[in-house]
Amino acid sequence: MRQLRDLRRGRRVLLGAGLVLAVALAGCGSGSGKSGDPDAATGGRKPGEKIEMTFWSWVPGVDKAVALWNSKNPEVQVKLEKIPAGSSGGYAKMLAALKAGSGAPDLAQVEYQEIPGFLLEGNLVDLSKYGAKDDAGKFVDWQWQQGVFGDAVYAIPQASGPMGFFYRQDLFAKWGIQPPKTWTDFRQAAQTIRAKDPKAYISTFPPGNSAWFTALAWQAGAKWFGTEGDTWTVDINNAETRKVAEYWDGMVADKLVKTEPDFANGWYKDLQQGAVVGWVSAQWGDSILSGNAPKTAGKWRVAPMPQWEGAPFTSSNWGGSSTAVLKGAKYPKDAKDFAVWLNTDPESIALLIEGGYGWPAAKDALAGSTLDKPYDFFGGQKINDVFAEADKAIDKDWSWIPTTSAAYQHLNDGFQKAIAGQGTFVAAVEAAQAETEADLKAKGLKVKAGS
Amino acid sequence: MRTSRTDRRAAAGFLMPFVVLFAAFFVLPIGYAIYQSLLSVERAGPLGLGGSRTVFAGLSNYTEAFADSAFTDSILRVLLFAAVQVPAMIGLATLLALLLDAAAARAVPFFRSAYFLPYGVPGVIASILWGFLYVPGVSPIVDLLGSAGLDVDLLGSGSVLWAIANIVTWEFAGYNMLVVVAQLKSINSDLYAAAQIDGANAWQVVRYVKLPLIRPAIVLTTVFTIIGTLQLFAEPLVLRPVSTAINTSYTPNLAAYTEAFVNNNYSLAAAQSVILAVAACVLSFGFLRLVGRKGDDR
Amino acid sequence: MTTLVDRPADRPTEPSPPDGGRRRPGRGPRAGWKILVVGLLTAFALYFLLPVYWLVIAATKSTGDLFGTFGLWFADFRLVDNLTGVLTYDDGIYLRWMLNSVLYAGVGAAVATLLAAMAGYALAKYRFRGREAVFNVILAGVLIPGTALALPLFLTFSKIGLADTYWAVLLPSVVSPFGVYLCRMYAATTVPDELLESARIDGAGERRIFTALVLRIMSPALVTVFLFQFVGIWNNYFLPLVMLSDPKLYPITLGLTSWQSFADRQPELYQLTVGGAFLSVLPLMAAIVVLQRFWRGGLTEGSLKG
Repeated sequence: MRQLRDLRRGRRVLLGAGLVLAVALAGCGSGSGKSGDPDAATGGRKPGEKIEMTFWSWVPGVDKAVALWNSKNPEVQVKLEKIPAGSSGGYAKMLAALKAGSGAPDLAQVEYQEIPGFLLEGNLVDLSKYGAKDDAGKFVDWQWQQGVFGDAVYAIPQASGPMGFFYRQDLFAKWGIQPPKTWTDFRQAAQTIRAKDPKAYISTFPPGNSAWFTALAWQAGAKWFGTEGDTWTVDINNAETRKVAEYWDGMVADKLVKTEPDFANGWYKDLQQGAVVGWVSAQWGDSILSGNAPKTAGKWRVAPMPQWEGAPFTSSNWGGSSTAVLKGAKYPKDAKDFAVWLNTDPESIALLIEGGYGWPAAKDALAGSTLDKPYDFFGGQKINDVFAEADKAIDKDWSWIPTTSAAYQHLNDGFQKAIAGQGTFVAAVEAAQAETEADLKAKGLKVKAGS
Repeated sequence: MRTSRTDRRAAAGFLMPFVVLFAAFFVLPIGYAIYQSLLSVERAGPLGLGGSRTVFAGLSNYTEAFADSAFTDSILRVLLFAAVQVPAMIGLATLLALLLDAAAARAVPFFRSAYFLPYGVPGVIASILWGFLYVPGVSPIVDLLGSAGLDVDLLGSGSVLWAIANIVTWEFAGYNMLVVVAQLKSINSDLYAAAQIDGANAWQVVRYVKLPLIRPAIVLTTVFTIIGTLQLFAEPLVLRPVSTAINTSYTPNLAAYTEAFVNNNYSLAAAQSVILAVAACVLSFGFLRLVGRKGDDR
Repeated sequence: MTTLVDRPADRPTEPSPPDGGRRRPGRGPRAGWKILVVGLLTAFALYFLLPVYWLVIAATKSTGDLFGTFGLWFADFRLVDNLTGVLTYDDGIYLRWMLNSVLYAGVGAAVATLLAAMAGYALAKYRFRGREAVFNVILAGVLIPGTALALPLFLTFSKIGLADTYWAVLLPSVVSPFGVYLCRMYAATTVPDELLESARIDGAGERRIFTALVLRIMSPALVTVFLFQFVGIWNNYFLPLVMLSDPKLYPITLGLTSWQSFADRQPELYQLTVGGAFLSVLPLMAAIVVLQRFWRGGLTEGSLKG
């Protein structure tokens, strides 16, 4: 695939003048004042030259890993800046800075679903020119593929989110419920919980978090996005997704789940007080629970994700992100080296695991790592055994489109309408299909419905 | 000697700094927004990832904006919001001003300060505070109502718009009240004496003397409130994570911000901003003309 | 806008004695009215002060207590700990945010007031062709929503490389069309032409007349414009949100919301956000309580006429 460059011909002159002006006005950064592509062989840095790169991330624990790198690499310093989580404004900041042409970091946290979107706007640096292909073997294959387009490598995978079911073991035992193996069991458990305690619910359906719903559709075997030659394909309203939507329509209609937002004060309070006793979530959810419901320590356990009957054991992936080098980075080779180190070095991974960043993308990271231990918050259970099994059972053939965040918004809008009483989740899925096709067309891309 | 020429030069000297900056930061951006809204992006290469160029697209961004039901919903939503919140808040401000001006009032400086205090709280901070006061499980209000048997969801789809209206009213009623108070204070006391001679009671004094004479203040505050209301952004943005009913295009401003910074559709966002600016101007001018015409009949 | 009746030049502008002496000589209001009026006043005061009260209580709580205990009364009192946390978190970035807000609002409002005074004076006291046209264009600027301007401003500033700098917020803040409107009204009614004439006859230049005479006469309006613009810039969220990416440049509004957005991963930020809100709101509220007299006075002096 070709080199990505922004060819806004009509404004190239103005942009060029603007760049010169920007450099003059905003002050030169470190290193040489030359603009243009850094030397492909060295990535721009002269040997012995001391440089500083900026890195934007929101992952807890990454500050410790960065500090470790800085102590080991006095010539290549990384300055970490914490930003809000991507979908809570982090990406907006990045895109604003990239558009402004100034203030954009060299490295950034980019979740897998955002990579095509960043690519479309020409915001990612092709790292294959700086030797990234040699690093492919260090990473789990499907995560590596998330950053690969044609012959180019645009992101270094960091972590993923294999899913399971967190539940309050003490309350389940009290009410005589087994952790549900299937979605039918899940529904029955929900009914029992409602019967035993009118204030308790098995979980919440968060109408504003369609990424979670996407993961559930992923588990059911849906494949929403793909490419066919020159064309993007969108198939959100396929049978599997409709099945999942119908299931949750039923759960909400029968008031078996709450419909409050997750990752918010009310939900944390409910977790703390036993009003919400379960959560189908990814491995990184452990730190969310322990951080925001500390009084329930020791009472939670993890079980495998509930399954659809008649299908082999499948889990899913929620979230997952990479470390990408953004357009305009002056030292792409050093940036790539840092990204690879961050995500493969065992000491770095240990620090990131401690912060709760997710499931490492580095191959063989689990064995002997700090993931392989009992968790006090989960009453001594080695929860990552469950997630390791889950990780093996994820459908690897899932990809994203350049307008994924817009697609998420359409689903959120539809879900919110449904909860307000105007329609169903199935209708939301149908609407999202049409709107997503329109989004891609509006971007000037070729679209086709169906897979 | 003073001639019209020296007049012009002096005036220019005083006016120029403001006018230059005004042109740069008011006129130019609107012009740029209009320009940007007429552009669109064309993709090249396989899967569109080979690069892009901007092309002139006429009014297609505008048709796209109006065809987007989420955006038109947002416009209708802020219009509904304005139709209810503006009279309510101006009414409250006027009522507070009249109360403070009443002969029966006591401790006026204290009350005036209390009512004006929220103006010093920025909208986002106010939303954070009221957010805590709305979220079930955290809010003492919801707790108290709950123990009285009333299960309210202030952030649900039926009520979140009015929850936001409450925040806005709380923030600005005191400020608008002060404008009305200032106007009240400047009413000629001879009028009160005349009213008393005519035997008017307190209520009639309010109705026939005070209210007519504070019309200019009410008009001023209403115009500013209309403009502010159409721009609603900070409050829904802050409440979005805790409400199930606020989406990313809840208000026109929020929609434009999302289009620009989440979806990278700067041209569409520019079109939406222009539509919003035109709507605000039209409504404000419309209101002023309406009021001006009625005023001429007196 | 309609004009008022004769300006009562002899009436004092401080609040009248509460017993209504100027309206009902000799007769006080009935007790029934008093109870009703004061009752209503108190009820509204409770409404306006409720969130402030909540904030004071909440600033003394830890995150756990914020979510666990009843909101309208204290729990484990830890105000000093909280405030220390706020001021020391992240190398004291909170103080930096405060200073940024003061910079943006203070400098912005000061420059805006000066520019508005100059422009208002020129429009009021000099005759030239196109004067009304210029004034109407400026008035139209009052009617344009600031948020409609922020996005194109961002794109323009990005092109010239000024986005994400202090200038990005300062420059647009020094333009206050409403200030020009207020100053023009005020200058037109309170600066006597005779004074200007006699100064000119004495040989004073236009600039000296302005700085030595006019500014002093216009000072109540200037205070009003300054306060109005100061609060407006301090409270402005959209412009800095769009323009700034570097947290070191954030005003306090942007800083506190950024803390809140991290809070679910770092729960201690909830209590810091509330503590930070408490600290940030104190100075402005104190200022408002003290200065709301000036505010009133300035507006009385003729800005609402014409």
